Amino acid sequence: MNDENAWVLQAQQGDDDAFTQLVETYQKPVYNLCYRMLGEPEVAEDAAQETFLRAYQNLHRYDSSRPFGTWILSIAAHYCIDRLRKKKFSVFSIDAEDEDGMPFEVADPASPDPEVESVTKEDRDQLHILLKDLEPTDRAAVIMRYWYDYSEVEIAQSLKLTVSAVKSRLHRSRRALAGMWQKEMSRPHPERRSRESLAF
Amino acid sequence: MNHLPFEEWLLNETAVTPDQQRELDLHLRSCAHCSALFETGRMLHNTKLTAPVSGFTARFQTRLTAHKIAERRRKLLGAFLFTLGGLVLLMWLVGPYLASFFASPATWISVIVGWLVFLGTTLFALFDAGLVILSVIPNFLPPFAWMILLSMVAGVGLLWTVSIWRFVRAPQGV
Repeated sequence: MNDENAWVLQAQQGDDDAFTQLVETYQKPVYNLCYRMLGEPEVAEDAAQETFLRAYQNLHRYDSSRPFGTWILSIAAHYCIDRLRKKKFSVFSIDAEDEDGMPFEVADPASPDPEVESVTKEDRDQLHILLKDLEPTDRAAVIMRYWYDYSEVEIAQSLKLTVSAVKSRLHRSRRALAGMWQKEMSRPHPERRSRESLAF
Repeated sequence: MNHLPFEEWLLNETAVTPDQQRELDLHLRSCAHCSALFETGRMLHNTKLTAPVSGFTARFQTRLTAHKIAERRRKLLGAFLFTLGGLVLLMWLVGPYLASFFASPATWISVIVGWLVFLGTTLFALFDAGLVILSVIPNFLPPFAWMILLSMVAGVGLLWTVSIWRFVRAPQGV
C-alpha cells in the first residue's frame, strides 16, 4: 500500500492529519484546475478549498480502485462547471497574476533562458484568455487533457461523458481555440513581437 | 482549402513519417486554419501548473475547523428545535388529559377509552363525509377542472420529490 492509499484509509477513519497530507499533495493540481476553469485567483482559491471540503465530507463514497487524483479533480471540475453555469461570469485578470499575494507560475528548471521563459508565459496568458470563451465542460476536458495528460477514457470517467463525446468535445474546442487565435492574430497589435506572426 | 488529412493529424496528434511531416509543413505555410491549430496545440503542450499562494493547507484547516463548528451548531440547533417541537406537540395533545392521569386509575382509563371512542367515531364520520363528497363533487366539477386539480397535485408531488432528491444527492463528481 503506498502513502496515498494509507492516507486515504486513515482519513476515512477520521484522521484529519492524513487528510491534510492529501491536501498538501493535491493542492497544486486542484488549484490549477480551478484557476484555469474560473479565471480569477481568489475565486479559484475558494473553489479549491470547497473541493477539498466536499472530498472530506464524501470520503466514505470514494472508490479506492480509482486514483485519488482523478476523483478529486473530478469533484473540482464538476464544482467549477456548476459555478460557471450558475454565475455566468468569467472575468479574467491576467495583469494581477504575478503581483504580491497572487498565485505564481512555478519556475521551470528546464528553461533557464529568461527570453524563452517570457515567450512561454505570453503563450500561457494568451491561452488563458482564449480558454474563457469555451463552454465549461469543453474547458474542463481541454484542461484535463493538456494540463494533466489525462487519456480520453479518464476524462470521460471524470466528467461522466462517453469517450466519443470527449473526443468530439476536444476536437471542437481545438477548432474553436484555433479560430479565436486566428481572430486574435488578425487584430492589429502594435506591441506584438515578430515571433507572434502566423508565418512558420 | 482542403484540410484533410492535416487537420486530423493535428487534432489527433498522430505520429507522422518524415515525408508526411514535410507535407504538413508545406500545408501549414499556406493554411491559416491549420497553422492556428498547430500554434494553439503547441501552446497547449507548453502549459504549466499554477500554484496557489503559500499557506493553502493552513487556510484549508481553518476552513475545515469553521465548517465543523458550524455543522455541530446546526445539528445542535436542529436537535433542540426538534425536541422542543416534539415536547410542545406532546403537551398540546396530552395537556388536557394530564390532570386525569393523576386521578384514580378508573378515571384515566375511562378518559382513554372515551378518547379512543371519540377518535374512532370521528374517523368513521370523516370517512363517510369523504365518500359523500366524492360521490357528489364529480357532478359539479367539469372534466377540465379535474385535470387542473390532478395536474396541481402531480406538480406538488414532483416538486416534493425533486426537493428531497436535491437535498439528499451527493455533489457531482463525488
